[in-house]
Amino acid sequence: MTDPLISIWLRDHQRPYAPGDELHCEYQIDAVDPDEFQAVEASVLWCTEGKGDEDIAVHYFERCTPNDFEGHDVRSMRRFVSVLPNSPMSYDGRIVKIRWLVRVRLFLRKGRQFTDEHPFVLGPLCSRSDAG
Amino acid sequence: MSRPSRVFRLFVKKRGDRRTVSPLAGGLGEALFFVVIFLIGCASLAILTTSRSPVDDVLGQPITGWTYYLLLFVIGTFLAMGSGGLIYTVFHIGTSVERRASLAERATKIEFLSEMKEPPGAYPTIPHDDNLTNSPGIELSYRLPIESASRWWLLTSTLFTLVWNGLVVVLAVLALRGIFRGATDWRLVALLVPFTAAGGWSIYYFLRQLLIATGIGPTTIEISDHPLHPGQRYEILLSQSGHLSVRWLEMNLVCEEESTYRQGTDVRHETVQVYQQPVFHRVGFEIETDAPFQIRSELEIPRGVMHSFQSGHNVVYWKLTVRGDVVGWPPFQRNFPIIVYPPATSAEEPY
Repeated sequence: MTDPLISIWLRDHQRPYAPGDELHCEYQIDAVDPDEFQAVEASVLWCTEGKGDEDIAVHYFERCTPNDFEGHDVRSMRRFVSVLPNSPMSYDGRIVKIRWLVRVRLFLRKGRQFTDEHPFVLGPLCSRSDAG
Repeated sequence: MSRPSRVFRLFVKKRGDRRTVSPLAGGLGEALFFVVIFLIGCASLAILTTSRSPVDDVLGQPITGWTYYLLLFVIGTFLAMGSGGLIYTVFHIGTSVERRASLAERATKIEFLSEMKEPPGAYPTIPHDDNLTNSPGIELSYRLPIESASRWWLLTSTLFTLVWNGLVVVLAVLALRGIFRGATDWRLVALLVPFTAAGGWSIYYFLRQLLIATGIGPTTIEISDHPLHPGQRYEILLSQSGHLSVRWLEMNLVCEEESTYRQGTDVRHETVQVYQQPVFHRVGFEIETDAPFQIRSELEIPRGVMHSFQSGHNVVYWKLTVRGDVVGWPPFQRNFPIIVYPPATSAEEPY
C-alpha cells in the first residue's frame, strides 16, 4: 500500500512575502482511500530551529473532515488565504533560526498521520552575517 | 548644595532618610551592620542548639520549655533582620529616593484588568517597550533603564555569602567548643580551613560587586526615539557621574541570541553575540563629582538586521553596552536594553 500524496502550492512562493501580504495557498490529497480518511489540517505557522528547544506559533489553522469537501470528495482541491503578520521575520541566526511554513497534516484511520510542508520567507531573510 | 561628608560622623542627629556621609560609605556601613547581626544570630543558634553549657553557665539552670523557644525566637529575629536588612540594602543600591517613590506611586495605580488584557497584536513576538519609554529624558525623549541582571547577580552573591558564612560560623563554634573541652575534632578543623577560605573569597567577591555597584557613579543613556527601526538614525546622550579617573570608556550596539534547552534533567542557557557596532570610544579623561561626563553621539541601526524577538525558549536581544576601565576600580559594564522593530517602511504600511 502506497502512502497518500499531499501537494501544497503557494502563489508567488518564489519571492519573500512582506508583512501584510496575502498568502494564497492550495492543497490537495491524493492516493488515499476515502474510507480511510478522517481529517486534514492545514496551518500557517512559524517555528524556531537551532540550539534551543523548539517554539512554534500557528498563525492560521483549519481542520476539514469529509463533509467539508465538495461532494465529499476528499481529493478535491482546497484553498485558503491568510494575511501575514508583521512579525516575526524569517531569520537565519547562529543558534536561533525562524522558519515560516505551510503544513498540511492528514489523519487516517488507526491513528496514521502524514504531513507535508512548504516553507516560505517572510520579510527580507535576516541572517547573522547581515547582522555582522 | 551641600555635599556629603566623607568622614563617618557618629554623634549626628539623622533627619529623615538623608545620609550624613557619602552614599558609598553609608551603603557599606549598612551592609556591614546587617552582616554582623546575621553572624551573631548564626553563632547564637549554634551555641543554643548544640550545647547548653555556655548558656547554663550564665543562667545557672538548664534551658528548657518556653525559655528555650523564646531564645530561639530572639535568635531568629537576629537572623531575619540581618539577612533581610542586607538584601534590602543591596536591592536599593543605585536607586534614588525619588525613583523608589515614583515606582511606589505607579504600583498603587496599576489597574489589574488592563494589565491582563492581551497586548496589541501588531508585532507578535516583539517585546513591548512600555518599560523603556516610561521615563522621559532631560535632553532627549527617553531615558533608557539599566538591565537588572547585574542587580540580581549581586543579590545572588549576597545570599550565597550569607548562607555560606553562616555555615562557617556554626562549624567554627562547634570546632572551638571541642578545642576548649580538650576533645579537638581534627576532621572538623580540617574541613573548616577550605570552608573559611571559600567564605573569605565570597566576602571579597561580594564587597567587590558592592563597590562596583556603589562606587562608580550612575550611568544614564537618553535616546531621541524608541522603538528603533533598521536603517534609521537616532541621537544618543551618555552621562557618567562620579569622581573618576577614566582609562577608557566605550559604548557599543550589541545583538545577542539566547537559547534555552533541556539536556537530560538540566535546563541550559546559551548566549551568543552575533553583532557589535561601536558607537563611541574615549580614552584618558577625568570625571568630577559635580560635572558628569556627557557625550552626544549618533546611533544608526543597520539595514537588514533581525528585529528583537522573544518566544518561549529563544530570544534575539538588542542592547547598548557601556564598558569602562577606571583607575582604582575593576572594569565595569552596564547594559541598556533596546527594542528593534522590523523596517519602518514595511511595518508601518497598513494592510
